[in-house]
Amino acid sequence: MTPERFRTIVDAYGADPRRWPDEERAAAESWADLHRIEADAVLAESVSLDAWLADHTVAPPERELVERIVAAAPTRRPAKHRVRLWWQGAAYAGIGLAGGLAGAFAVSFFVLTGQPPQTHDSPSYLASSFDGSTADWSGE
Amino acid sequence: MDITGPRALSERDPDADLVARVGEQDPAAVRTLVSRKLPRLLALATRMLGDRMEAEDVAQEAFVRIWKQAPHWKEGEARFDTWIHRVALNLCYDRLRGRREDPVADLPDEADPQPMPDMQLEARVRDEHVRTALAALPVRQREALVLNYYQELSNIEAAALMGITVDALESLLARARRSLRAQLADSGFSKDLP
Repeated sequence: MTPERFRTIVDAYGADPRRWPDEERAAAESWADLHRIEADAVLAESVSLDAWLADHTVAPPERELVERIVAAAPTRRPAKHRVRLWWQGAAYAGIGLAGGLAGAFAVSFFVLTGQPPQTHDSPSYLASSFDGSTADWSGE
Repeated sequence: MDITGPRALSERDPDADLVARVGEQDPAAVRTLVSRKLPRLLALATRMLGDRMEAEDVAQEAFVRIWKQAPHWKEGEARFDTWIHRVALNLCYDRLRGRREDPVADLPDEADPQPMPDMQLEARVRDEHVRTALAALPVRQREALVLNYYQELSNIEAAALMGITVDALESLLARARRSLRAQLADSGFSKDLP
């Protein structure tokens, strides 16, 4: 550390050693300790300006601005909604599957018996397809 | 005050995980990122432009770009904080270029109908004079001072962001501080300045 470099550091970064470059801070502080009068004269020129700069504050963002910015962000739906949608989808799929199975059962019944499915007013509604007409398997 | 020095290459970006969650559209991460970065961006733009409303516009525009970039953000190329500073500075420069008037002339006299205690009034007057003096600096000097002093970027980070050497940054900082001292001395509010 030289007197010139010490002055350059203080002129650029101010009197607070915490603001000095990391890699030179220890050397600059050591030089200042060894040359107290000279160092203090240099530091005194910056102390007041540092205090003025520190006085300048910027008010924090207002809540309205925060909310506007957050609202503009693309965000996925909360997990609760997604769970509900999953169950709704499963319910619709189940209903569709049940309808399909019922239709398939009715068609197979018709193919095997050659008759449309029996309605509840028929006495044979309790019988299985194998109890009905033997026309399809009379050859046995 | 947390003064950060030059980072080791192996040091992780402290914002990386949060930005990744923002990229996945996590609402909680969005709020956390806004609370972490908005005050910094707003302070940067306010000091660069000397106008709160314009600074808020810049902050909003910067976040629009953050939302677009977050899903594609890759750690390692640049620190996220450095990148958003670059974005905000570019937006500030766009506005500064669009101005015809001297920025200092735009600073309004803020009338306050409420009487203030002496100390509060004095603090406000001091703050106003520093704000005016900052706005009167040449823009590159102001940028160097704002990045290094107020945004607390290290000399290496600030120089890299400005695309200059550390020596050039130190020259800008020294000239900015000399100019500020002279302006504040001329203002009559700086009897304690040498």
